Amino acid sequence: MAPQSLQQILLSPAELSYLHTSLSSNPPIRPDGRTATQFRPLIAESDILPGTNGSARICFADGTEAVVGVKAEVERSSGISRDVDGEGEGEEGVKKGRNEWVEISVDIPGERDDDSNPIFLAAVLSEALLADGEFVERLWINRHFHWRLYLDVLLLSPPLSYPLPLLSLTTHLALLTTRLPKLLSEKDEDPLFSDDWDASEPLYHPPHTSHPPITLLVMAVQETIIFDPSKEELAVADAVLAVSLSESPTSNSSSQDTEMEMDVEGGKKRNLRLLAVRTIDPPSRLTHKGLANKVNTATGGTAQKNLEDGGGDGEEGVWCPPRGGAKRGLIKEMIGRVLERGGVGEEVLDGLCGAEL
Amino acid sequence: MDAIHHSSEPSATLSPTHNMLPVLADRKRVNGPLGGTSAPIYSKYLAKDPKELPERPTRSRPNNVLRKMFLKTGVTPSASGSAYLELAAPINSKSVAPGLASLSPSGLKLTCTVHGPRPLPRTAQFSPHIILTTHVKYAPFATRKRRGYLKDSNERDLGVHLEAALRGVIIGDRWPKSGVEVIITILEGEEDQWWGDDISRGNTSATGWGMMSVLSGCITVASAAIADAGIDCVDVVAGGVAAVVKEAGIPNLVLDPVPSEHKDIIAACIVAYLPSRDEITDLWVKGEIGHQNQAEDRPQTSTYEELTDNAVQAALGAHRVLISALKETADVKLGRT
Repeated sequence: MAPQSLQQILLSPAELSYLHTSLSSNPPIRPDGRTATQFRPLIAESDILPGTNGSARICFADGTEAVVGVKAEVERSSGISRDVDGEGEGEEGVKKGRNEWVEISVDIPGERDDDSNPIFLAAVLSEALLADGEFVERLWINRHFHWRLYLDVLLLSPPLSYPLPLLSLTTHLALLTTRLPKLLSEKDEDPLFSDDWDASEPLYHPPHTSHPPITLLVMAVQETIIFDPSKEELAVADAVLAVSLSESPTSNSSSQDTEMEMDVEGGKKRNLRLLAVRTIDPPSRLTHKGLANKVNTATGGTAQKNLEDGGGDGEEGVWCPPRGGAKRGLIKEMIGRVLERGGVGEEVLDGLCGAEL
Repeated sequence: MDAIHHSSEPSATLSPTHNMLPVLADRKRVNGPLGGTSAPIYSKYLAKDPKELPERPTRSRPNNVLRKMFLKTGVTPSASGSAYLELAAPINSKSVAPGLASLSPSGLKLTCTVHGPRPLPRTAQFSPHIILTTHVKYAPFATRKRRGYLKDSNERDLGVHLEAALRGVIIGDRWPKSGVEVIITILEGEEDQWWGDDISRGNTSATGWGMMSVLSGCITVASAAIADAGIDCVDVVAGGVAAVVKEAGIPNLVLDPVPSEHKDIIAACIVAYLPSRDEITDLWVKGEIGHQNQAEDRPQTSTYEELTDNAVQAALGAHRVLISALKETADVKLGRT
């Protein structure tokens, strides 16, 4: 039994209680002075690795840094069904892509690759990517061949805060810069590609296709909802959610030519889609409990007789790790905040547009 | 040992999935073939005449009715708490399958044991609360494709979800310096899709919808086993699944979906729900989900609110079964029957 749950949160119960109180006040007072929806500043660059089809690097202000490389390989499709379904091919809406064609691996220093944490992170990232089933369709070449996409996500620094938003944003940028060689052969011929890299085609081409997904971390302390929490803030969270979203392609009713100007204006209506939501076990459940003065023998109190009477639970200023889950209404509110018009989701996508290319 | 190793290598290169690593790492057992063994496919079921093709099972229950659930606690005497859960396999009245086990749809069978609370080893760090570890493992024979003995990423993912669902429920600080292990073996797993899609209808992507039902069953059965072990909880947690399925182009909300019965599952949601506190300890939604602020020109599917509320309804159904199973055990223990 590996006590993997014993991640070090180097805060005393008194500090936790202080942090909890200041975060749950309205407006919340965060340790680094940000507002509730403000993100930490970050440095982003894309297309940094010449050996990959697409790559990106993002460096957060707290010193965490991640690099993502995307590699594509042509692979022969397996399957016995090829000869049987001659008629199914012309059908509308027949899914050709398979989810196995995308492989995401997450590497975090100090953790084995079969630890549950990197696997959980990889599962969140891949589930957002595969959620609509549209992405894998683009990897289909012909009936005998497809692209196989490897996304290697490397966290370069020790995981100072929960790395999910960092990894997700880096993956987003890397996918945006991913280019696949132009296909020269036709239909079911063995694939032949143009060797001109300038002619290569981008895998994602917004606004004509959807954007790659992003996953945001949202946490709640009592009624307060906070975005992009740091490690210390997570240590007092009552509920943590990972919300994956992406943007649908702009509807074809707007004329194609004016789209570029609309982007620049920034007043564009973004068409956000919710792809996946997962709760994340808040690390606050693993913190030490505070002891009220009246049950602490060191401060002249009398030790509590039995555990059931609770000994000063709920006393103000005494830290008590959260119990139970999150209220239904709170979860709805958290998801709503991400998706609302002019909300954080749009803001992050706008910010990433600025970083691109 | 060396000889076994060499002989397994050609099959490794043949395997379509590239996950040969876990099997090579497992040197303690003589393992089965690497690519997995699937149930035999007879060519007569590959018939081209659409009338002869085996039919996809259809949902015979109304949309808001759950499958029948069997739950019993105290099945493993050596563990401090245990439970067994079974969901009835859907009965297909118009099935043309000639009674072959490999052609019938599978239900869900889970067994859970809880060991502990017991003291941590002397070398372990001090912990002010109970240390919860969860293991979810498919039995090698649980699915159509054989699972290896080592846990794969799906199983670990399920374990993480289960841990999140249970940790909020257990009152951990009543057992400092101790640990508890929750071990779930999936004896028969939910399928991700209908088997006929696999062999005759070409590619569909299996998006792991079966995992959601499995997780919901895991949460319910683990909750029963923890109650059986006498570990203090704030409430008994129950799992529930709801999904949006497309039938003839119309999105439709169903409770407790069986993936093999639906061709198109658009979105699904699983919750771990605490009825007495109206709280959710674990939520997992994925797929194409609508929300209030989406543009009007997009086809309206159910919003995540509707999905979660329906999943909560499913969880309430499971909760009722859970409570009556616990009462039954308590009655037996107190000699009231």
